[in-house]
Amino acid sequence: MNMNEKRTGARALVESLAKAGTEVLFGYPGGAVLDIFNCLTDAKFPFVLGRHEQGSVHMADGYARSTGKPGVCLVTSGPGATNTITGLATANIDGVPLIVITGQVSLPLIGTDAFQEADTTGITRAVSKHNFLVHSADEIPEIVAQAFYIATHGKPGPVVIDIPKNCQQALTSAQYPERVSLRAYHPESAATTAQLNKLARLINDAERPVIYAGGGVIASGAADDVATLARKAGIPVATTLMGLGSFDEHDPLSLRMAGMHGTPAANWAMNEADLILALGVRFSDRVTGRISKYAPKAKIVHVDCDPASIGKNVPVALGIVADVKDVLTTVGSRVKPAVHPEWIAKIEGWKKERPLAWKPMHPGVIMPQAVMEAIDKASGGRAVVVTDVGQHQMWAAQYFRHSIPRHFLTSGGMGTMGFGIPAAIGAAIARPDHKTVAVCGDGGAQMTFEEVVVAVEHKLPVTFVVVNNGCLGMVRQWQELFYAKNYSGSILTVKGRPANELLEQDLDYDYLPDFVKLAQAHGAEAYRVLDPAKLDATIAKAMRSKKTTLVEVIVEPRANVYPMIPAGKPVSDMVFD
Amino acid sequence: MNEEQTHRLNCYVENKPGVLARIVGLISGRGYNIQTLNVGPTEDGSVSRMKIDVLGSARVVEQIILQLRNQVNVIEVTSRKM
Repeated sequence: MNMNEKRTGARALVESLAKAGTEVLFGYPGGAVLDIFNCLTDAKFPFVLGRHEQGSVHMADGYARSTGKPGVCLVTSGPGATNTITGLATANIDGVPLIVITGQVSLPLIGTDAFQEADTTGITRAVSKHNFLVHSADEIPEIVAQAFYIATHGKPGPVVIDIPKNCQQALTSAQYPERVSLRAYHPESAATTAQLNKLARLINDAERPVIYAGGGVIASGAADDVATLARKAGIPVATTLMGLGSFDEHDPLSLRMAGMHGTPAANWAMNEADLILALGVRFSDRVTGRISKYAPKAKIVHVDCDPASIGKNVPVALGIVADVKDVLTTVGSRVKPAVHPEWIAKIEGWKKERPLAWKPMHPGVIMPQAVMEAIDKASGGRAVVVTDVGQHQMWAAQYFRHSIPRHFLTSGGMGTMGFGIPAAIGAAIARPDHKTVAVCGDGGAQMTFEEVVVAVEHKLPVTFVVVNNGCLGMVRQWQELFYAKNYSGSILTVKGRPANELLEQDLDYDYLPDFVKLAQAHGAEAYRVLDPAKLDATIAKAMRSKKTTLVEVIVEPRANVYPMIPAGKPVSDMVFD
Repeated sequence: MNEEQTHRLNCYVENKPGVLARIVGLISGRGYNIQTLNVGPTEDGSVSRMKIDVLGSARVVEQIILQLRNQVNVIEVTSRKM
């Protein structure tokens, strides 16, 4: 277009989103974004209509987690904006790049309690990396460019752009900038030579080293570099929940996941290690347990792109603020080949002594762990697995053999129930080359089930697996273990509920809703399995289908996630069953 | 490290709407009380200076400073014990 030609702020926004690389836009319309929607029908990218703004943000999140590119979402003012909060917080704590555009009432109406007015920048401040309130149509292209820059540089995160309706309607000739310049934000940082030398010395001197890899390894694209270092210097690798896929769990050096529900080998290795090389992690309380007893014998090296993350939870011997990949590629030549035979032998002993294992509790009842193994088998370990939150999430972490970065998408930090279904839709749109499977519990599935229709209408071959134990399993597990089996608020069937939760005492049902009928009502192909002998075949059949499928698996309701280190306890308090 | 003490934070920030709220929110959201807050322009009108007195342990204040430096509109933060 002619550089002086004016168009509306709404059109400038849509043009700018395309220039910033938007491949698909998720969202939901409303009064304060009608001008933008009016321009979408001839945009260069398609629009995916969710059924609730929370679902739309999680779809953008699933897109972003599975590609590393920012997910983009557009919603209206007021309730549209407030419905994005959970999705923003989920992306913020896990460092996922998102651009969330919210409509706002016209500038002169702000502060008048206008219809669908909310203080969006005020509300989203604590759950986003940054936010903008647009004051003029002329600012829109520059702000879009800045938002994409901020979302993807330093520790990635969600950025909100709040655009008053009159700025969408006003005319502007402002152009998308060639480059972004932010006066105060310069997150790039590199390791110094002294730091690299010290890091190499610590690795070369270590007798019992452990690499502890987190989501930052995946964000940085450093999985291959971790594998190279681990193999060269003979270092076993444990991962966080967010780091699953950053190191191949088939590798003999893999300790698999560490933390509250991690493997005994990973936790014992961290407990005995003399060096922990922490890469792109934030030492979550779900990993460290009691901080004062965490890794008592180890020097800790922490490499992370976020300076505020280093030394936040545990004191470190060496902190390096830098991109993980840069550090690993430059330190590699300074590290001497090593094998640590005694250390490896000790770890092998732990792996044999306490492998992750489960056994049936009642004959003829499917164990939830078997569902994960069935999915892993049916996909050949190649599927993009998206989870919801709770027991099934931990079983998915434990019983899949993770081997590929960006193939395990889960709400780690926020633990957002309802994440699974919409995030899987976003991932399936982003990665049509891979089968996407969502693993959900019956609790979380009901939080965002309305989004299943989006998968059906776009003919996405996603398989939703609802692991139905008739209760909020992780809550129930904690009540069993720590609240004297007082199952308050956690039982979804009538049977087994406390009396205060039954307004009518003569109700009689077991499992509600009927997930098969519910899925069929949304247009999906659906199956129910109760028989352990039919589990593998049903899962495989659903996963082979070219249609959107749902499998409801009725599982053992009293199964618990083990091993478990109770919150705030040291590794020595690990319980196995 | 864990002894509470008053620290004076000197923040140079971009003079834009919402920056003060962001900084105050970052401190108050962690449960720390601001004792004194003084905001004013610098010679460069596009930069504001904030003087913030906050009571906290050295460890907590160090974390607050790192989080402040991560903010997109924060140019520089220094601190001293009072």
